[in-house]
Amino acid sequence: MIGRVPALAAALGVALAAAAAIFMLAPLAVVIASSVSASEFLVFPPRGFSLRWYQEILASSVYLRALGVSLTLAAVVTVISVALGAAAAIGLSRPGVRFAGALQGLFLSPLMLPTILLGIGLLMLASRYANGPSFAVMALGHVVVTLPYVVRTVSAVLARVDPSLEEAARVMGAPWWRRYWHVVLPQARPGLAAGAFFAFNVSFDEAVVALFLRAPGVETLPLLIYSKLEFSPDPSVAAAATLMIAMTVAVMIALDRVLGLDKVAA
Amino acid sequence: MKRETALLLAPGVLVLTLGFVLPVLRVLTLAFDAKTGFGLDNFARFFADSFYPLVAWRTVRLSLVITLVTALFGAPLALVMARAPRWLRMALIVVVVLPLMTSVVVRTFGWLVILGRGGLLAQTLAYFDLAGRNFSLMHTETGVVLAMVQVLMPFVTLTVLSTLEKIDPRLEEAARVMGANFWTTLRHVVVPLAMPGLVAGSLLVFALSASSFVTPGLIGGVRLPVLGATIYQQVTGTLDWGFAAAQATLLLILALVVALPYAQGARRAGASR
Repeated sequence: MIGRVPALAAALGVALAAAAAIFMLAPLAVVIASSVSASEFLVFPPRGFSLRWYQEILASSVYLRALGVSLTLAAVVTVISVALGAAAAIGLSRPGVRFAGALQGLFLSPLMLPTILLGIGLLMLASRYANGPSFAVMALGHVVVTLPYVVRTVSAVLARVDPSLEEAARVMGAPWWRRYWHVVLPQARPGLAAGAFFAFNVSFDEAVVALFLRAPGVETLPLLIYSKLEFSPDPSVAAAATLMIAMTVAVMIALDRVLGLDKVAA
Repeated sequence: MKRETALLLAPGVLVLTLGFVLPVLRVLTLAFDAKTGFGLDNFARFFADSFYPLVAWRTVRLSLVITLVTALFGAPLALVMARAPRWLRMALIVVVVLPLMTSVVVRTFGWLVILGRGGLLAQTLAYFDLAGRNFSLMHTETGVVLAMVQVLMPFVTLTVLSTLEKIDPRLEEAARVMGANFWTTLRHVVVPLAMPGLVAGSLLVFALSASSFVTPGLIGGVRLPVLGATIYQQVTGTLDWGFAAAQATLLLILALVVALPYAQGARRAGASR
């Protein structure tokens, strides 16, 4: 047993926890509150209660198209990122990988290097060697940004599994596809699921790479909200932003189910 | 290395080369692109008058303040999370992770509503007679710092939390058994052992904050340009890519130059305790 925590420390801790909760959640709370305002303008506190702004965005072809682009992009990115990231994590978990440290660094480095560099670089390459930015280029950028999350979650899960199961399958003569389908992938499943949810969430929310690679017809929801914020936002932006928060909450609940939020966080 | 392992790694390496290594190299080479082939023209332009050096200075100054504030509040919060009862810990994880996973555009929008004229902050201050209703932190450095701290604090808190979880609890027990009180144990056992996490988290915050432009752009506006914002401006507005690439290169160098002494200093501070 560790000794008692003095009352002063406990009080400071509680105060800090309360202040952090208010500070961290306030920006989300005001967005949600503004979205149910009955007023024409973005005012706080909201005047009256109405769901008219939700009706508005759900009837607006601009918002619906952006939502469609964002969902398609996130789905495509998730599939590619999980496939590449899972394969890489399984490869990295094998013994005797040459340049293991460097490869690990390469797979995690998009998290460390400023995303703005990636955005400009992709734009410059796409303009030089392709016909400028497009859905495919944005998807490539998002795969790069999401890959580290998949590699990390799958690697963390694989570090705890028993490698002798796969060895047993190999020794008993299972062909490679049975070995992967019946042993390796089931073992990695919680990591695959968590990686997929992370990838989907990051791609759905991403704005930096998207701002540089914005192309006609590839306007995602974050891009639409950003351009509305640059001019004069009305409560419809708040409704769209609230839907994005709802999506994040759903992803968090899913992450908690498959891996435990505790493990995801630390 | 077995063929199977190489086959597993190859697709990822290929995509990262195409989508990450080549783009970053392209930025670096374009930065040194000059009329005469290879040259420092773009960098000379950066230092030609005081505008861009001042932008760079503001970027560094704001990033340092943001890094210090996030460390000052984020690290103790991690300590509270590590020691809190289970329900409180879970609640705090939600408090930290939910904003982290929410789009930065949405969070910045929230800060626009809070900081703007007649916003939540102005009304709260007016209620206590501390400021007029026209009070606004939009287009101020204070406003940018407030919003950026909220955006980046989770990175410090979660990195420190994962370091704290790895500390052997017997070390603290030993200190307490031998008569050290809570505060002494905190100072001489917990803080030094958590220092690597704090350093790593702070470096991440500094790099992220030096290169960010969505939040400083929308809250600071054109009157308070930071490097990220001028780069974005040059790439999408004036289409001056060589100059933008040079600024991005400087941003990278800046992050590294400030990061290295900071890391060493913090490590030394941790070791001397």
